[in-house]
Amino acid sequence: MNVPTGFIHQEGSAFGFGELEEAIVLQGLNIRNDEAKAPLFTTGRPAATLEMFPSWPMRFKQTPRGSSKSGGGSTDSGSAVNTISSKTENQLEPESPISSKNTTPLDHQQQKQQEMMASDVSRTGASQNQSIAKLPQEKRRGSTSEKQLDAKTLRRLAQNREAARKSRLRKKAYVQQLESSRIKLTQLEQDLQRSRSQGFFLGGCAGAVGNISSGAAIFDMEYSRWLEDDQRHMSELRTGLNAHLSDSDLRIIVDTYISHYDEIFRLKVVAAKADVFHLITGMWTTPAERCFLWMGGFRPSELIKMLISQLDPLTEQQVMGIYSLQHSSQQAEEALTQGLEQLQRSLTDTIAGGPVIDGMQQMAIAIGKLANLEGFVRQADNLRQQTLHQLSRILTVRQAARCFLMIGEYYGRLRALSSLWTSRPRESMMSDEHSCQTTTDLQMVQPSQNHFSEF
Amino acid sequence: MHYQVDSWGYYMPRMSMGSDPMERVAKLASESAVVIFSLSSCCMCHAVKRLFCGLGVNPTVYELDQDPRGKDMEAALMRLLGNSQAVPVVFIGGKLIGAMDRVMASHINGTLVPLLKEAGALWL
Repeated sequence: MNVPTGFIHQEGSAFGFGELEEAIVLQGLNIRNDEAKAPLFTTGRPAATLEMFPSWPMRFKQTPRGSSKSGGGSTDSGSAVNTISSKTENQLEPESPISSKNTTPLDHQQQKQQEMMASDVSRTGASQNQSIAKLPQEKRRGSTSEKQLDAKTLRRLAQNREAARKSRLRKKAYVQQLESSRIKLTQLEQDLQRSRSQGFFLGGCAGAVGNISSGAAIFDMEYSRWLEDDQRHMSELRTGLNAHLSDSDLRIIVDTYISHYDEIFRLKVVAAKADVFHLITGMWTTPAERCFLWMGGFRPSELIKMLISQLDPLTEQQVMGIYSLQHSSQQAEEALTQGLEQLQRSLTDTIAGGPVIDGMQQMAIAIGKLANLEGFVRQADNLRQQTLHQLSRILTVRQAARCFLMIGEYYGRLRALSSLWTSRPRESMMSDEHSCQTTTDLQMVQPSQNHFSEF
Repeated sequence: MHYQVDSWGYYMPRMSMGSDPMERVAKLASESAVVIFSLSSCCMCHAVKRLFCGLGVNPTVYELDQDPRGKDMEAALMRLLGNSQAVPVVFIGGKLIGAMDRVMASHINGTLVPLLKEAGALWL
C-alpha cells in the first residue's frame, strides 16, 4: 500500500485531519450502502470519485485547529458521524459537497488513503456501528425527494451543530483533565524526590517513578525495611547495655546485629547485579551520606577513624588491632580504587575515538567492561563486611555493643542531617509540613551518650 | 597421564610435556612465594596486583591470555574455584588462597601478612 505517511500523520495539524477522516468514512459508507441512490448534495456532478480536497466553503477552513471545530456543516448522515466517540480527532462538519457521492473514477492513491483512514476511524469509534446503522436510514430519508431538502435538512443541520458543539465541549474537558493530571504527576514526582532525599522511602511507590529501575526500586524498599530493623536492633543494644546484661546475653544481641549487617550486604549483592549504577551513584542513600560515598557504600577506614577515639578504654593489644585493621583496610581500599581506575582508563580507551565503522562492536566491548563494575562494588561491600566482623573480633562484647550503637547513631545523624538540609529554610520553601519535619529531626539529633561526630 | 602433541615443536624448559593444565597450575604455583594467575585485560587482577605491591611483595604474575596453554589453565582454575571467574587467583607458598574476596578477607582478618612472611615474600 503506497500510502504517503505524511498524509496519514497529519492529525492535529492545520489540516483538520480528523474531520476529513470522517468525511472519507462517510463517503466510503455512502458508497458502500447506497451505490444506486443519488447524492444528497449533488451539485449536478456525476460523482463516483471521492473528492479529497473539494472546494470547501471558507467556513470550514476558518475553523481554529485547537479544541473547537467548525460548526454547522452537515452531511446527510452528519448527526450519525458526530456520535462517533469524542476521543477521535476533529468532528466532521463540512458544508461542502464532500459527502456527495462521486462517481468519477477514484485516483488509486486516494482510494488507498480512504481505505486507510476508514480503517483508522473504525478502530477509534465504538459508536461506529451505531453510526453505520443510522446511516442507511438517514440516507434513505434524505434521498426520498429533493423537495424535502430544506425542512429536514435544516433540522438535521441544527442537530449536527448541536452534537458537534457537545463533542467539542467533551473533548475540551478531556484535554483539561489530561493537563491537570500531568501537573499533578510532576508535583507528585517532586514530592517523591524530596521525600527520598529526606530518607523516607515509600513502600510500594518507589517503583512507580519512571526513572528508577525495578532492581533499584526493590532494593530501595528492602533498604528502607532494613533501616526500620536497624532502629529496632539499636534500641535492643541500648537497653542491653543499660540493663547491664551478662556477656553471653549481650553477645547474642551483638551477633544478631552483625547478622543484620550481613543481610544488607546480601541484598546489595543482588542489587549490584540488577542495577550497579544505583548503588555506585549512591542514589539509595541520603545526600549527606553520598558525600562520603566510596564504591557504593561507606569507606571502612573512615568508619574506623570515626570510631577510634570513642572506643576507649582499649587494651594495648586492642589498640594495635584496631590500627592494624585501619591500615589493612586502607591498603585494600587503595587496591580496589586503583583497579577501578584501570577500568575507567580501559573504558575510555574503548569508547574514545576509534573507527566509526564498527561502532557497535566498540559499544559491545564497552558494555563488557562496564559489567566489571558489579565486581568492584561487590568487593567493596565484602571489604565493609569483613571490617565489621573483624571489629567484633577485636573488641569485647560490651565494647562491640557500644561500637555498633555508635555506628548506627552516626549514620542516623547523617540521615537526619540530609533531611534537615533538604528542609532548611529557603525563600519560599517554609511551610507547616516542613517545620514539623524539622522538629522530628531535631529530636533524632538529641545527644545520646555520645557527643556529635567529631568527624 | 596423557601426552599432548605440542604444535610448536620446540622444547620448553621447565614444562613437563603433556602435563594437564591443573598440574601445570600447581607446578607454577609452587615455584614462587606469591603467584598470581591473571589476564592482562582484567581490572580486578590489576587491583590484586596493586594490593600485593602495596604490601611490599613482588608477586610472580602469569598472564593467561599470553600463555599458549592459558585457555586450558583458565578452565582448570574455574573448576578449582567453582565459579565463572578464573582470575585473579592467588597462591602463597604453593597453597591456594583464592580469588579477590578471599584475599581481601584474609588481609582484613590479619592472616595474609603472616602467610606472606611464612612464605618468605615479606621480611619485616
